[in-house]
Amino acid sequence: MPYHLFKCSECIPEREKHAVIKGPGETLADALPLGYLNTIPGTISERGCAYCGAKHVIGTPMKDVIHLSHGPVGCTYDTWQTKRYISDNDNFQLKYTFATDMKEKHIVFGAEKLLKQTIIDSFKAVPHIKHMTIYQTCASALIGDDINAIAQEVMEEMPDVDIFVCNSPGFGGPSQSGGHHKINIAWINQKVGTFEPEITSDYVINYVGEYNIQGDQEVMQDYFKRMGIQVLSTFTGNGSYDGLRGMHLAHLNVLECARSAEYICNELRQRYGTPRLDIDGFGFEPLGTSLRKIGLFFGIEDRAQAIIEEETARWKPELDWYRARLTGKKVCLWPGGSKLWHWAHVIHDEMGVDVVSVYTKFGHQGDMEKGIARCEEGALAIDDPNELEGLEALDMLQPDIIFTGKRPGEVAKKVRVPYLNAHAYHNGPWKGFEGWVRFARDIYNAIYSPIHELSKLDISKDEIPTDKGFVTRRMLSDANLPDKVRNDPNMRPYTGKYDSLVDLRGKTYPTFEPQPVAV
Amino acid sequence: MGDAMRDDVMKDRTEQLVDYIMKKCLWQFHSRAWDRTRQNEGILTRTRQLLCGEPVDISTPEARCYWVDAVCMADAFRARYAWLADMSRDEIAELMQGLHERIEFLTVTGSLNLELTDQKY
Repeated sequence: MPYHLFKCSECIPEREKHAVIKGPGETLADALPLGYLNTIPGTISERGCAYCGAKHVIGTPMKDVIHLSHGPVGCTYDTWQTKRYISDNDNFQLKYTFATDMKEKHIVFGAEKLLKQTIIDSFKAVPHIKHMTIYQTCASALIGDDINAIAQEVMEEMPDVDIFVCNSPGFGGPSQSGGHHKINIAWINQKVGTFEPEITSDYVINYVGEYNIQGDQEVMQDYFKRMGIQVLSTFTGNGSYDGLRGMHLAHLNVLECARSAEYICNELRQRYGTPRLDIDGFGFEPLGTSLRKIGLFFGIEDRAQAIIEEETARWKPELDWYRARLTGKKVCLWPGGSKLWHWAHVIHDEMGVDVVSVYTKFGHQGDMEKGIARCEEGALAIDDPNELEGLEALDMLQPDIIFTGKRPGEVAKKVRVPYLNAHAYHNGPWKGFEGWVRFARDIYNAIYSPIHELSKLDISKDEIPTDKGFVTRRMLSDANLPDKVRNDPNMRPYTGKYDSLVDLRGKTYPTFEPQPVAV
Repeated sequence: MGDAMRDDVMKDRTEQLVDYIMKKCLWQFHSRAWDRTRQNEGILTRTRQLLCGEPVDISTPEARCYWVDAVCMADAFRARYAWLADMSRDEIAELMQGLHERIEFLTVTGSLNLELTDQKY
């Protein structure tokens, strides 16, 4: 597995240890990219800061909370609303963001008075919300404001409110991942064990590392409820503040994004003895196996099996329709962290696409181990790439599509590579059986969009055809398909609703007789 | 079958199982070396016990959590690798011992992951 030095990075030779090509017969013990290190000076990273990781990724998906940044208004503005972690309480956490709006005078004279007044004003502005998270920023960390002391003062003066403080300034780690770590540990140290939610089932889980992107959490929660399982808390998408304070009462921690949330699962296992079960919510087979494992743990495997059979029968013909049209398409899988290993094998197995490259902006070497283990030979794995490396890789690999964030995604568009937003999705949710078909549909729509037929032409030199008019995706995708496949009655394109969540909210679930089990 | 040929067959079968674990499982990649060793021991031991028809400890939540991964993996091994049905109990135990050693090497002793030796999570 040789290390790979990009031509554009020959002037930054340290970058060589951050990229490898998975060679035939080679293993993880032969080569592994370095990861979770400070970005090398001279390379323009695509990473976010540790404050962003704590607030934007982990903290803000909590739905019934005032999220307040103690710092310049730009910090909170730039971490507001750009990720689609919706909630079932009218998206309070997306609609509003709060900041102390520190200025130069506060740097000189301190901002603790400003902070206290902002906390009080914020609670008065939205009196139905009684919880707050406060995020330290570089500015408030450097001047040494004691946020915890101010929060404690307010809680004594306003006994009906509860405040969580996250001290994770932007410089508190090499990337946003440093912030993930800090807020995990801060939450378990400060809040877990301080509230006892009502237990309503014999089977109780925390669903950890799930951020409800376009409704992912609600899809998974539906499966759990159909199995009679209580989701005591979700860390943190669509999660409630009090539910998350009660994490210590669950029987099992079901972990989805290990990159952002394994810390709290590990600590819950050490401190409370709650086991950690890693799952995959993406893809028919991984999701089915995950539901089965949870069912086995509680002795209710039959309930999981019933869901798997029902959902597979409903959605597999639609997945197969897209697979027939996506097979052999080349993908650059360039997400932030966990999706490189959640998706690397299963989009190949179930949609037929070939992953020619994986990268991670802020992942650790553990993420690369998982991602490289799961992708096929020949794939190029890159840690913390810069924009020039990304362009060089696109030129070298000639992918049909790229799954990444919006910044590198827009760059890819300029070199005429279609992109899907791996962080916030296009037409999600993408989790669950139906969600996986929605993902396949988005890939299909992107690759076969007629606009790319035009965008591939260079008006400065190519001849522009004026005799060709109307064209559709279907005309492009089916042009070379055998009749047998094109007319296969067992396959069909997506038939779900525009909003696949609408029927989940307000749905009633069966009650189950308790089944004694040794947990 | 000669010893050398038998060794080659066992090695090839071990690698098939390694490939399954690496592609389909997540439990082997916990974040610390001691954690990975504990996972490998807990899950691969129970997988061997299931494949060999031996009793399995599921007396604690932790043991039960290892067991669920072992059940799914044992079922997948049986479904994918027809040669497993032709192996004796002793041969399966030997195969699983080799698998355990290989996974321990790839994820712990031979791993290039520099974070494995951090003392804290």
